[in-house]
Amino acid sequence: MASNAAVPFWRAAGMTYITYSNICANMVRNCLKEPYKSEALAREKVHFSVAKWVDGKPQKPIVRSDDPEE
Amino acid sequence: MFRQAPQLMARATTVAMRCRRLFSTDVPVEASADSTFVEAWRKLIPNIEPPKTPSSFMTPRPSTPASIPTKLTVNFVLPYSSQLSNKEVDMVIIPATTGLMGVLPGHVATIAELKPGVFSVHEGNDVTKYFVSSGFAFIHANSFADIIAVEAVPLDHIDPSLVHKGLADFTQKLNSASTDLEKAEAQIGVDVHSALNSALTG
Amino acid sequence: MAMAALRREGRRFAPMISPNPINSLRSSLAPSEEQAFIGVRSISTQIVRNRMKSVKNIQKITKAMKMVAASKLRAIQVRAENSRGLWQPFTALLGDTPSVDVKKNVIVTISSDKGLCGGINSTSVKTSRALFKLNSGPDKENRYVVLGEKAKAQLIRDSRKDIEITLTELQKNPLNYTQVSVLADEILKNVEYDALRIVFNKFGSVVSFMPTTATILSPEIVEKEAEAGGKIGDLDSYEIEGGETKSEILQNLTEFQFSCVMFNAVLENACSEQGARMSAMDSSSRNAGDMLDRLTLTYNRTRQASITTELIEIISGASALEG
Repeated sequence: MASNAAVPFWRAAGMTYITYSNICANMVRNCLKEPYKSEALAREKVHFSVAKWVDGKPQKPIVRSDDPEE
Repeated sequence: MFRQAPQLMARATTVAMRCRRLFSTDVPVEASADSTFVEAWRKLIPNIEPPKTPSSFMTPRPSTPASIPTKLTVNFVLPYSSQLSNKEVDMVIIPATTGLMGVLPGHVATIAELKPGVFSVHEGNDVTKYFVSSGFAFIHANSFADIIAVEAVPLDHIDPSLVHKGLADFTQKLNSASTDLEKAEAQIGVDVHSALNSALTG
Repeated sequence: MAMAALRREGRRFAPMISPNPINSLRSSLAPSEEQAFIGVRSISTQIVRNRMKSVKNIQKITKAMKMVAASKLRAIQVRAENSRGLWQPFTALLGDTPSVDVKKNVIVTISSDKGLCGGINSTSVKTSRALFKLNSGPDKENRYVVLGEKAKAQLIRDSRKDIEITLTELQKNPLNYTQVSVLADEILKNVEYDALRIVFNKFGSVVSFMPTTATILSPEIVEKEAEAGGKIGDLDSYEIEGGETKSEILQNLTEFQFSCVMFNAVLENACSEQGARMSAMDSSSRNAGDMLDRLTLTYNRTRQASITTELIEIISGASALEG
Protein backbone atom coordinates (compact mmCIF):
# COMPACT_ATOMS: atom_id res chain seq x y z
CA MET A 1 0.00 0.00 0.00
CA ALA A 2 1.94 3.03 1.17
CA SER A 3 5.28 1.79 -0.01
CA ASN A 4 8.30 3.84 -0.86
CA ALA A 5 6.15 6.07 -3.03
CA ALA A 6 6.53 9.77 -2.56
CA VAL A 7 3.00 10.26 -1.36
CA PRO A 8 0.35 7.71 -0.53
CA PHE A 9 -2.29 7.40 -3.21
CA TRP A 10 -4.96 9.02 -1.16
CA ARG A 11 -2.95 12.14 -0.54
CA ALA A 12 -2.17 12.37 -4.22
CA ALA A 13 -5.92 12.32 -4.84
CA GLY A 14 -6.40 15.28 -2.53
CA MET A 15 -7.48 13.62 0.70
CA THR A 16 -6.12 14.51 4.09
CA TYR A 17 -5.17 11.89 6.66
CA ILE A 18 -8.30 12.69 8.59
CA THR A 19 -10.48 11.99 5.57
CA TYR A 20 -8.63 8.75 4.92
CA SER A 21 -8.96 7.53 8.47
CA ASN A 22 -12.64 8.45 8.60
CA ILE A 23 -13.34 6.48 5.44
CA CYS A 24 -11.46 3.46 6.80
CA ALA A 25 -13.28 3.66 10.11
CA ASN A 26 -16.64 3.95 8.42
CA MET A 27 -16.00 0.92 6.27
CA VAL A 28 -15.05 -1.12 9.30
CA ARG A 29 -18.21 0.00 11.07
CA ASN A 30 -20.29 -1.02 8.09
CA CYS A 31 -18.92 -4.55 8.33
CA LEU A 32 -19.93 -5.12 11.92
CA LYS A 33 -22.58 -7.53 13.08
CA GLU A 34 -25.82 -6.21 14.43
CA PRO A 35 -26.37 -4.74 17.07
CA TYR A 36 -22.82 -3.35 17.11
CA LYS A 37 -23.27 -1.94 13.65
CA SER A 38 -26.35 0.14 14.38
CA GLU A 39 -24.85 1.32 17.68
CA ALA A 40 -21.68 2.41 16.00
CA LEU A 41 -23.39 4.11 13.09
CA ALA A 42 -25.86 5.91 15.36
CA ARG A 43 -23.00 7.15 17.45
CA GLU A 44 -21.15 8.79 14.65
CA LYS A 45 -23.44 11.36 13.09
CA VAL A 46 -22.21 14.66 11.76
CA HIS A 47 -23.95 17.99 11.68
CA PHE A 48 -22.56 21.47 11.74
CA SER A 49 -22.68 24.70 9.83
CA VAL A 50 -19.55 26.49 8.68
CA ALA A 51 -19.26 30.05 7.46
CA LYS A 52 -16.11 31.49 5.97
CA TRP A 53 -15.37 35.12 6.65
CA VAL A 54 -13.82 37.46 4.18
CA ASP A 55 -12.74 40.88 5.34
CA GLY A 56 -14.93 40.88 8.38
CA LYS A 57 -18.03 39.77 6.55
CA PRO A 58 -19.49 36.31 6.86
CA GLN A 59 -20.22 34.43 3.69
CA LYS A 60 -23.24 32.25 3.33
CA PRO A 61 -22.96 29.35 5.78
CA ILE A 62 -22.73 25.82 4.45
CA VAL A 63 -24.42 23.11 6.45
CA ARG A 64 -22.66 19.75 6.49
CA SER A 65 -24.92 17.14 7.79
CA ASP A 66 -25.20 13.40 8.27
CA ASP A 67 -22.12 12.90 6.31
CA PRO A 68 -19.66 10.80 8.26
CA GLU A 69 -17.55 10.22 5.20
CA GLU A 70 -16.15 13.42 3.85
CA MET B 1 11.30 11.97 29.24
CA PHE B 2 10.97 15.54 28.08
CA ARG B 3 9.79 16.74 31.42
CA GLN B 4 12.83 15.71 33.37
CA ALA B 5 14.10 19.27 33.81
CA PRO B 6 11.13 21.29 34.91
CA GLN B 7 11.98 24.86 35.62
CA LEU B 8 9.73 25.32 38.56
CA MET B 9 8.86 28.91 39.02
CA ALA B 10 7.25 29.69 42.32
CA ARG B 11 4.34 31.33 40.57
CA ALA B 12 3.94 28.51 38.10
CA THR B 13 3.86 26.10 41.00
CA THR B 14 1.05 27.91 42.71
CA VAL B 15 -0.86 28.11 39.47
CA ALA B 16 -0.43 24.41 38.87
CA MET B 17 -1.13 23.40 42.45
CA ARG B 18 -4.78 24.28 42.22
CA CYS B 19 -5.74 20.64 42.01
CA ARG B 20 -9.14 19.37 41.17
CA ARG B 21 -10.06 16.45 43.33
CA LEU B 22 -13.26 15.05 42.02
CA PHE B 23 -12.24 13.03 39.01
CA SER B 24 -10.94 9.61 39.86
CA THR B 25 -9.41 9.15 36.43
CA ASP B 26 -7.87 12.58 36.44
CA VAL B 27 -4.12 12.71 36.77
CA PRO B 28 -2.67 14.91 39.48
CA VAL B 29 -1.54 18.30 38.29
CA GLU B 30 2.17 18.40 37.67
CA ALA B 31 3.92 21.70 38.06
CA SER B 32 5.59 21.41 34.69
CA ALA B 33 3.94 24.35 33.04
CA ASP B 34 5.88 25.98 30.27
CA SER B 35 7.58 28.74 32.17
CA THR B 36 8.58 30.90 29.22
CA PHE B 37 4.96 31.02 28.22
CA VAL B 38 3.79 31.84 31.72
CA GLU B 39 6.36 34.58 32.09
CA ALA B 40 5.61 36.17 28.76
CA TRP B 41 1.91 36.07 29.55
CA ARG B 42 2.27 37.64 32.96
CA LYS B 43 4.40 40.41 31.57
CA LEU B 44 1.94 41.37 28.92
CA ILE B 45 -1.38 40.52 30.50
CA PRO B 46 -1.14 40.93 34.24
CA ASN B 47 -4.83 40.82 35.02
CA ILE B 48 -5.76 37.41 33.73
CA GLU B 49 -4.38 34.08 34.89
CA PRO B 50 -2.49 32.30 32.14
CA PRO B 51 -4.37 29.33 30.73
CA LYS B 52 -3.22 25.83 31.53
CA THR B 53 -1.54 23.71 28.94
CA PRO B 54 -2.00 20.00 28.36
CA SER B 55 1.39 19.09 29.78
CA SER B 56 0.26 20.27 33.18
CA PHE B 57 -2.49 17.67 33.15
CA MET B 58 -0.31 14.73 32.34
CA THR B 59 1.86 12.59 34.53
CA PRO B 60 5.29 12.71 33.00
CA ARG B 61 6.56 9.51 31.51
CA PRO B 62 9.44 7.74 33.20
CA SER B 63 12.82 8.19 31.60
CA THR B 64 14.65 5.52 29.67
CA PRO B 65 15.89 2.91 32.12
CA ALA B 66 19.45 1.65 31.92
CA SER B 67 18.51 -1.99 31.39
CA ILE B 68 15.73 -3.32 29.24
CA PRO B 69 12.54 -3.71 31.26
CA THR B 70 10.78 -7.02 31.29
CA LYS B 71 7.38 -5.78 30.30
CA LEU B 72 6.01 -3.40 27.74
CA THR B 73 3.57 -0.79 29.06
CA VAL B 74 0.80 -0.33 26.57
CA ASN B 75 -1.76 2.43 26.15
CA PHE B 76 -4.34 1.56 23.54
CA VAL B 77 -6.79 4.41 23.05
CA LEU B 78 -9.80 4.99 20.88
CA PRO B 79 -11.67 8.27 20.65
CA TYR B 80 -14.56 6.93 22.65
CA SER B 81 -12.68 4.89 25.19
CA SER B 82 -9.29 3.88 26.51
CA GLN B 83 -9.17 0.18 25.86
CA LEU B 84 -5.87 -0.45 27.59
CA SER B 85 -4.28 2.04 29.87
CA ASN B 86 -0.78 1.48 31.28
CA LYS B 87 -1.17 -2.23 30.96
CA GLU B 88 1.96 -4.34 31.27
CA VAL B 89 2.25 -6.93 28.56
CA ASP B 90 4.88 -9.10 26.99
CA MET B 91 4.48 -8.20 23.37
CA VAL B 92 2.17 -6.47 20.93
CA ILE B 93 1.88 -6.92 17.20
CA ILE B 94 0.85 -3.84 15.31
CA PRO B 95 -0.27 -3.60 11.69
CA ALA B 96 2.14 -0.98 10.43
CA THR B 97 2.08 0.19 6.84
CA THR B 98 5.03 -2.09 6.10
CA GLY B 99 3.32 -5.13 7.55
CA LEU B 100 2.82 -6.70 10.94
CA MET B 101 5.43 -5.56 13.36
CA GLY B 102 6.16 -7.16 16.70
CA VAL B 103 7.08 -4.90 19.59
CA LEU B 104 8.98 -6.24 22.58
CA PRO B 105 10.24 -4.40 25.63
CA GLY B 106 13.38 -2.51 24.76
CA HIS B 107 12.28 -1.88 21.18
CA VAL B 108 13.94 1.09 19.55
CA ALA B 109 11.91 4.27 19.63
CA THR B 110 9.63 4.32 16.60
CA ILE B 111 6.73 6.17 15.09
CA ALA B 112 4.58 3.96 12.90
CA GLU B 113 1.49 4.75 10.92
CA LEU B 114 -1.02 1.92 11.06
CA LYS B 115 -2.89 0.42 8.17
CA PRO B 116 -6.15 -1.53 8.52
CA GLY B 117 -5.21 -4.80 10.14
CA VAL B 118 -5.13 -6.93 13.23
CA PHE B 119 -3.62 -5.62 16.43
CA SER B 120 -2.84 -8.26 19.01
CA VAL B 121 -1.76 -8.04 22.61
CA HIS B 122 0.19 -10.91 24.13
CA GLU B 123 0.18 -11.26 27.87
CA GLY B 124 1.57 -14.56 29.09
CA ASN B 125 -0.61 -17.04 27.28
CA ASP B 126 -3.52 -14.69 26.53
CA VAL B 127 -3.78 -13.08 23.17
CA THR B 128 -6.36 -10.37 22.61
CA LYS B 129 -6.96 -9.38 19.02
CA TYR B 130 -8.61 -6.25 17.63
CA PHE B 131 -9.12 -5.13 14.08
CA VAL B 132 -7.85 -1.59 13.79
CA SER B 133 -9.04 0.70 11.02
CA SER B 134 -6.21 3.21 11.04
CA GLY B 135 -4.14 5.23 13.45
CA PHE B 136 -0.66 5.68 14.79
CA ALA B 137 1.65 3.83 17.11
CA PHE B 138 4.43 5.45 19.09
CA ILE B 139 7.01 3.29 20.76
CA HIS B 140 9.13 5.19 23.21
CA ALA B 141 12.59 4.36 24.37
CA ASN B 142 11.37 3.65 27.89
CA SER B 143 9.29 0.66 26.72
CA PHE B 144 6.05 2.56 26.64
CA ALA B 145 3.87 2.00 23.63
CA ASP B 146 0.99 4.28 22.67
CA ILE B 147 -1.37 3.00 20.08
CA ILE B 148 -4.04 5.44 18.96
CA ALA B 149 -6.68 4.09 16.64
CA VAL B 150 -9.70 5.72 15.14
CA GLU B 151 -11.80 2.58 15.29
CA ALA B 152 -11.00 -0.83 16.69
CA VAL B 153 -13.31 -3.79 17.01
CA PRO B 154 -12.80 -7.23 18.47
CA LEU B 155 -12.66 -9.78 15.67
CA ASP B 156 -15.85 -11.50 16.65
CA HIS B 157 -17.90 -8.36 16.07
CA ILE B 158 -17.20 -8.54 12.35
CA ASP B 159 -19.74 -9.99 9.96
CA PRO B 160 -18.05 -12.05 7.19
CA SER B 161 -20.87 -11.78 4.69
CA LEU B 162 -20.78 -7.99 4.84
CA VAL B 163 -17.03 -8.11 4.36
CA HIS B 164 -17.32 -10.21 1.21
CA LYS B 165 -20.06 -8.01 -0.13
CA GLY B 166 -18.02 -4.89 0.57
CA LEU B 167 -14.98 -6.34 -1.10
CA ALA B 168 -16.93 -7.21 -4.22
CA ASP B 169 -18.57 -3.76 -4.30
CA PHE B 170 -15.36 -1.87 -4.01
CA THR B 171 -13.46 -4.02 -6.48
CA GLN B 172 -16.16 -3.24 -8.94
CA LYS B 173 -16.06 0.45 -8.07
CA LEU B 174 -12.32 0.49 -8.53
CA ASN B 175 -12.70 -0.77 -12.04
CA SER B 176 -15.37 1.69 -12.93
CA ALA B 177 -13.97 4.71 -11.13
CA SER B 178 -13.20 7.77 -13.19
CA THR B 179 -11.90 10.61 -11.06
CA ASP B 180 -8.82 10.42 -8.87
CA LEU B 181 -10.91 10.83 -5.76
CA GLU B 182 -13.25 7.99 -6.63
CA LYS B 183 -10.34 5.78 -7.50
CA ALA B 184 -8.70 6.55 -4.19
CA GLU B 185 -11.89 5.84 -2.26
CA ALA B 186 -12.43 2.59 -4.07
CA GLN B 187 -8.82 1.60 -3.50
CA ILE B 188 -9.20 2.30 0.20
CA GLY B 189 -12.34 0.18 0.19
CA VAL B 190 -10.57 -2.71 -1.44
CA ASP B 191 -7.66 -2.47 0.99
CA VAL B 192 -9.82 -2.29 4.08
CA HIS B 193 -12.05 -5.14 3.05
CA SER B 194 -9.22 -7.42 2.03
CA ALA B 195 -7.56 -6.73 5.36
CA LEU B 196 -10.83 -7.56 7.11
CA ASN B 197 -11.05 -10.73 5.08
CA SER B 198 -7.57 -11.87 5.97
CA ALA B 199 -8.20 -10.99 9.58
CA LEU B 200 -11.23 -13.25 9.65
CA THR B 201 -9.58 -16.13 7.90
CA GLY B 202 -6.06 -15.77 9.26
CA MET C 1 -55.18 60.61 62.83
CA ALA C 2 -54.58 56.98 63.63
CA MET C 3 -56.07 56.10 60.30
CA ALA C 4 -53.94 58.62 58.51
CA ALA C 5 -50.86 57.24 60.19
CA LEU C 6 -51.78 53.71 59.18
CA ARG C 7 -52.55 54.78 55.65
CA ARG C 8 -49.16 56.39 55.48
CA GLU C 9 -47.65 53.14 56.70
CA GLY C 10 -49.44 51.29 53.95
CA ARG C 11 -48.15 53.69 51.37
CA ARG C 12 -44.65 53.08 52.66
CA PHE C 13 -44.97 49.42 51.72
CA ALA C 14 -46.05 50.03 48.20
CA PRO C 15 -42.86 51.75 47.02
CA MET C 16 -40.84 48.89 48.55
CA ILE C 17 -42.73 46.40 46.48
CA SER C 18 -42.68 48.20 43.22
CA PRO C 19 -40.87 51.33 42.20
CA ASN C 20 -43.81 52.70 40.25
CA PRO C 21 -45.70 55.62 41.77
CA ILE C 22 -49.00 54.66 43.31
CA ASN C 23 -51.14 56.52 40.81
CA SER C 24 -49.86 54.58 37.89
CA LEU C 25 -50.42 51.39 39.87
CA ARG C 26 -54.04 52.30 40.41
CA SER C 27 -54.57 53.01 36.77
CA SER C 28 -52.90 49.84 35.62
CA LEU C 29 -54.78 47.65 38.05
CA ALA C 30 -58.27 48.97 37.61
CA PRO C 31 -60.05 45.60 38.01
CA SER C 32 -58.39 44.88 41.35
CA GLU C 33 -59.24 48.37 42.50
CA GLU C 34 -62.86 47.60 42.07
CA GLN C 35 -62.61 44.68 44.43
CA ALA C 36 -62.24 46.89 47.48
CA PHE C 37 -61.85 50.60 47.88
CA ILE C 38 -59.73 50.13 50.95
CA GLY C 39 -57.01 52.28 49.55
CA VAL C 40 -53.48 51.45 48.62
CA ARG C 41 -53.08 48.26 50.56
CA SER C 42 -55.27 45.79 48.72
CA ILE C 43 -53.79 46.85 45.43
CA SER C 44 -50.33 46.15 46.83
CA THR C 45 -51.31 42.68 47.94
CA GLN C 46 -52.47 41.94 44.43
CA ILE C 47 -49.22 43.18 43.02
CA VAL C 48 -47.22 41.21 45.50
CA ARG C 49 -49.23 38.10 44.72
CA ASN C 50 -48.52 38.49 41.04
CA ARG C 51 -44.87 38.92 41.65
CA MET C 52 -44.79 35.90 43.89
CA LYS C 53 -46.43 33.80 41.22
CA SER C 54 -43.94 34.82 38.57
CA VAL C 55 -40.95 34.34 40.86
CA LYS C 56 -42.20 30.89 41.75
CA ASN C 57 -42.48 30.03 38.10
CA ILE C 58 -38.98 31.25 37.48
CA GLN C 59 -37.75 29.10 40.33
CA LYS C 60 -39.42 26.04 38.85
CA ILE C 61 -37.97 26.71 35.43
CA THR C 62 -34.44 27.22 36.67
CA LYS C 63 -34.66 24.11 38.83
CA ALA C 64 -35.76 22.13 35.80
CA MET C 65 -32.93 23.54 33.73
CA LYS C 66 -30.52 22.55 36.45
CA MET C 67 -31.79 18.97 36.39
CA VAL C 68 -31.52 18.83 32.63
CA ALA C 69 -27.99 20.19 32.72
CA ALA C 70 -27.06 17.69 35.44
CA SER C 71 -28.28 14.73 33.40
CA LYS C 72 -26.56 15.98 30.25
CA LEU C 73 -23.41 16.49 32.25
CA ARG C 74 -23.45 12.90 33.50
CA ALA C 75 -23.73 11.60 29.98
CA ILE C 76 -21.02 13.73 28.50
CA GLN C 77 -18.65 13.46 31.43
CA VAL C 78 -18.24 9.78 30.74
CA ARG C 79 -17.22 10.47 27.16
CA ALA C 80 -14.85 13.25 28.12
CA GLU C 81 -13.12 10.99 30.62
CA ASN C 82 -12.78 8.33 27.99
CA SER C 83 -11.30 10.71 25.51
CA ARG C 84 -8.65 11.92 27.88
CA GLY C 85 -6.30 9.17 26.88
CA LEU C 86 -6.40 10.42 23.33
CA TRP C 87 -4.18 13.48 23.52
CA GLN C 88 -1.71 12.20 26.08
CA PRO C 89 0.40 10.16 23.66
CA PHE C 90 0.79 13.15 21.39
CA THR C 91 1.93 15.37 24.21
CA ALA C 92 4.30 12.64 25.35
CA LEU C 93 5.80 12.45 21.88
CA LEU C 94 5.75 15.96 20.59
CA GLY C 95 5.84 17.91 23.82
CA ASP C 96 3.85 21.00 24.54
CA THR C 97 5.16 24.33 23.39
CA PRO C 98 2.80 27.23 23.90
CA SER C 99 5.71 29.63 23.87
CA VAL C 100 6.71 28.77 20.34
CA ASP C 101 7.37 31.74 18.17
CA VAL C 102 5.81 31.48 14.76
CA LYS C 103 4.57 33.78 12.08
CA LYS C 104 1.08 32.52 11.45
CA ASN C 105 -0.98 31.82 14.53
CA VAL C 106 -4.49 30.59 14.34
CA ILE C 107 -6.49 30.75 17.54
CA VAL C 108 -9.33 28.27 17.69
CA THR C 109 -11.85 29.38 20.28
CA ILE C 110 -14.38 26.84 21.48
CA SER C 111 -17.59 28.06 23.05
CA SER C 112 -21.22 27.08 23.37
CA ASP C 113 -24.15 27.84 21.14
CA LYS C 114 -26.61 28.33 23.96
CA GLY C 115 -26.41 30.83 26.76
CA LEU C 116 -27.23 30.82 30.47
CA CYS C 117 -24.04 28.99 31.25
CA GLY C 118 -22.23 31.36 33.56
CA GLY C 119 -18.97 32.99 32.58
CA ILE C 120 -17.16 30.27 30.66
CA ASN C 121 -17.65 31.78 27.24
CA SER C 122 -16.38 35.13 28.40
CA THR C 123 -13.28 33.56 29.91
CA SER C 124 -12.59 31.71 26.68
CA VAL C 125 -12.89 34.90 24.68
CA LYS C 126 -10.73 36.82 27.14
CA THR C 127 -8.05 34.15 26.94
CA SER C 128 -8.18 34.12 23.15
CA ARG C 129 -7.87 37.87 22.97
CA ALA C 130 -4.94 37.73 25.35
CA LEU C 131 -3.24 35.04 23.27
CA PHE C 132 -3.81 37.16 20.21
CA LYS C 133 -2.13 40.07 21.91
CA LEU C 134 0.68 37.89 23.20
CA ASN C 135 1.43 36.63 19.75
CA SER C 136 1.14 39.77 17.76
CA GLY C 137 4.21 41.40 16.36
CA PRO C 138 5.56 43.11 13.28
CA ASP C 139 5.51 40.25 10.81
CA LYS C 140 3.10 37.99 12.56
CA GLU C 141 -0.34 37.16 11.40
CA ASN C 142 -3.09 36.03 13.72
CA ARG C 143 -6.50 34.71 12.79
CA TYR C 144 -9.45 33.39 14.73
CA VAL C 145 -11.46 30.30 14.08
CA VAL C 146 -14.60 30.39 16.16
CA LEU C 147 -16.75 27.46 17.23
CA GLY C 148 -20.06 28.36 18.80
CA GLU C 149 -22.42 31.29 18.67
CA LYS C 150 -21.47 32.90 21.94
CA ALA C 151 -17.84 33.49 21.16
CA LYS C 152 -18.78 34.64 17.69
CA ALA C 153 -21.05 37.28 19.14
CA GLN C 154 -18.34 38.53 21.46
CA LEU C 155 -15.50 38.46 18.97
CA ILE C 156 -17.48 40.18 16.27
CA ARG C 157 -17.53 43.30 18.36
CA ASP C 158 -13.89 44.15 18.04
CA SER C 159 -12.10 41.57 15.94
CA ARG C 160 -14.27 41.22 12.87
CA LYS C 161 -11.40 41.49 10.49
CA ASP C 162 -9.46 38.69 12.06
CA ILE C 163 -12.06 35.97 11.97
CA GLU C 164 -11.35 33.32 9.42
CA ILE C 165 -14.13 30.75 9.87
CA THR C 166 -17.04 30.32 12.22
CA LEU C 167 -18.65 26.98 12.93
CA THR C 168 -21.98 26.61 14.68
CA GLU C 169 -24.74 24.09 15.34
CA LEU C 170 -22.30 21.57 16.67
CA GLN C 171 -24.42 19.94 19.31
CA LYS C 172 -27.37 18.81 17.28
CA ASN C 173 -26.16 15.23 17.53
CA PRO C 174 -24.26 13.90 20.51
CA LEU C 175 -20.62 14.77 20.09
CA ASN C 176 -18.58 12.10 18.40
CA TYR C 177 -15.17 11.77 16.88
CA THR C 178 -16.33 11.67 13.30
CA GLN C 179 -18.03 15.04 13.59
CA VAL C 180 -15.10 16.70 15.23
CA SER C 181 -12.68 15.23 12.75
CA VAL C 182 -14.70 16.51 9.80
CA LEU C 183 -14.69 19.91 11.52
CA ALA C 184 -10.95 19.70 12.02
CA ASP C 185 -10.58 18.76 8.38
CA GLU C 186 -12.53 21.85 7.32
CA ILE C 187 -10.31 24.03 9.43
CA LEU C 188 -7.13 22.46 8.12
CA LYS C 189 -8.25 22.84 4.56
CA ASN C 190 -9.25 26.45 4.81
CA VAL C 191 -6.65 27.96 7.04
CA GLU C 192 -2.93 28.40 6.62
CA TYR C 193 -1.13 28.09 9.87
CA ASP C 194 2.19 27.61 11.52
CA ALA C 195 0.70 27.04 14.93
CA LEU C 196 -2.84 26.31 16.00
CA ARG C 197 -3.80 27.31 19.48
CA ILE C 198 -6.98 25.76 20.76
CA VAL C 199 -8.62 27.63 23.64
CA PHE C 200 -11.19 25.77 25.68
CA ASN C 201 -12.37 25.23 29.24
CA LYS C 202 -11.10 22.05 30.76
CA PHE C 203 -13.55 20.40 33.07
CA GLY C 204 -12.21 20.04 36.58
CA SER C 205 -15.37 19.54 38.56
CA VAL C 206 -18.85 20.96 38.61
CA VAL C 207 -17.56 24.17 40.10
CA SER C 208 -14.12 24.39 38.53
CA PHE C 209 -13.25 24.99 34.90
CA MET C 210 -9.73 25.79 33.83
CA PRO C 211 -9.16 27.83 30.71
CA THR C 212 -6.62 25.80 28.81
CA THR C 213 -4.74 26.23 25.60
CA ALA C 214 -3.34 23.40 23.53
CA THR C 215 -0.80 24.14 20.84
CA ILE C 216 -0.44 22.19 17.63
CA LEU C 217 2.35 22.98 15.27
CA SER C 218 2.41 22.50 11.56
CA PRO C 219 4.74 19.78 10.31
CA GLU C 220 7.31 22.23 9.03
CA ILE C 221 7.56 23.95 12.36
CA VAL C 222 7.82 20.63 14.15
CA GLU C 223 10.81 19.77 12.02
CA LYS C 224 12.36 23.14 12.63
CA GLU C 225 11.88 22.87 16.38
CA ALA C 226 13.19 19.33 16.41
CA GLU C 227 16.36 20.44 14.73
CA ALA C 228 16.72 23.38 17.05
CA GLY C 229 16.53 21.09 20.06
CA GLY C 230 14.46 22.07 23.01
CA LYS C 231 11.29 20.29 23.89
CA ILE C 232 10.81 18.33 20.71
CA GLY C 233 14.50 17.61 20.37
CA ASP C 234 14.04 13.93 21.05
CA LEU C 235 11.92 13.49 17.98
CA ASP C 236 14.94 12.68 15.88
CA SER C 237 15.71 9.68 17.99
CA TYR C 238 12.53 8.03 16.78
CA GLU C 239 12.83 5.80 13.78
CA ILE C 240 10.14 5.99 11.23
CA GLU C 241 8.62 2.67 10.43
CA GLY C 242 7.90 2.21 6.79
CA GLY C 243 9.46 3.76 3.82
CA GLU C 244 7.90 7.17 4.19
CA THR C 245 10.01 10.15 4.88
CA LYS C 246 9.87 11.95 8.17
CA SER C 247 8.05 14.95 6.77
CA GLU C 248 5.41 12.65 5.28
CA ILE C 249 4.67 10.97 8.51
CA LEU C 250 4.85 14.24 10.39
CA GLN C 251 2.19 15.64 8.14
CA ASN C 252 -0.17 12.77 8.83
CA LEU C 253 0.73 12.89 12.47
CA THR C 254 0.01 16.57 12.94
CA GLU C 255 -3.33 16.26 11.20
CA PHE C 256 -4.27 13.36 13.39
CA GLN C 257 -3.03 15.19 16.45
CA PHE C 258 -5.17 18.21 15.66
CA SER C 259 -8.22 16.06 15.22
CA CYS C 260 -7.68 14.17 18.48
CA VAL C 261 -6.89 17.23 20.54
CA MET C 262 -9.90 19.03 19.08
CA PHE C 263 -12.10 16.11 20.03
CA ASN C 264 -10.98 16.19 23.61
CA ALA C 265 -11.21 19.99 23.72
CA VAL C 266 -14.75 20.04 22.38
CA LEU C 267 -15.88 17.38 24.84
CA GLU C 268 -14.26 19.11 27.80
CA ASN C 269 -15.81 22.40 26.82
CA ALA C 270 -19.21 20.80 26.53
CA CYS C 271 -18.80 19.33 30.01
CA SER C 272 -17.77 22.71 31.36
CA GLU C 273 -20.76 24.28 29.67
CA GLN C 274 -23.18 21.88 31.32
CA GLY C 275 -21.45 22.21 34.67
CA ALA C 276 -21.49 25.99 34.49
CA ARG C 277 -25.11 25.96 33.48
CA MET C 278 -25.93 23.72 36.41
CA SER C 279 -24.29 26.02 38.90
CA ALA C 280 -25.75 29.14 37.27
CA MET C 281 -29.25 27.71 37.38
CA ASP C 282 -28.70 26.50 40.91
CA SER C 283 -27.76 29.94 42.16
CA SER C 284 -30.60 31.42 40.16
CA SER C 285 -33.18 29.16 41.75
CA ARG C 286 -31.74 29.80 45.19
CA ASN C 287 -31.96 33.50 44.50
CA ALA C 288 -35.55 33.12 43.40
CA GLY C 289 -36.25 31.24 46.61
CA ASP C 290 -34.82 34.09 48.68
CA MET C 291 -36.82 36.61 46.74
CA LEU C 292 -39.91 34.56 47.29
CA ASP C 293 -39.33 34.52 51.04
CA ARG C 294 -38.93 38.25 51.16
CA LEU C 295 -42.03 38.79 49.08
CA THR C 296 -44.03 36.44 51.29
CA LEU C 297 -43.08 38.45 54.35
CA THR C 298 -44.06 41.69 52.66
CA TYR C 299 -47.31 40.18 51.52
CA ASN C 300 -48.22 39.00 54.99
CA ARG C 301 -47.34 42.31 56.54
CA THR C 302 -49.45 44.19 54.02
CA ARG C 303 -52.33 41.82 54.45
CA GLN C 304 -52.26 42.08 58.23
CA ALA C 305 -52.00 45.84 58.08
CA SER C 306 -55.07 46.06 55.92
CA ILE C 307 -57.02 43.77 58.22
CA THR C 308 -56.00 45.83 61.20
CA THR C 309 -57.06 49.02 59.45
CA GLU C 310 -60.45 47.57 58.65
CA LEU C 311 -60.96 46.50 62.22
CA ILE C 312 -59.96 49.90 63.52
CA GLU C 313 -62.31 51.64 61.16
CA ILE C 314 -65.16 49.42 62.19
CA ILE C 315 -64.47 49.80 65.87
CA SER C 316 -64.02 53.54 65.76
CA GLY C 317 -67.14 53.82 63.65
CA ALA C 318 -69.06 51.77 66.20
CA SER C 319 -67.71 53.74 69.15
CA ALA C 320 -68.57 57.00 67.35
CA LEU C 321 -72.19 55.83 67.02
CA GLU C 322 -72.45 54.89 70.67
CA GLY C 323 -70.79 57.96 71.96
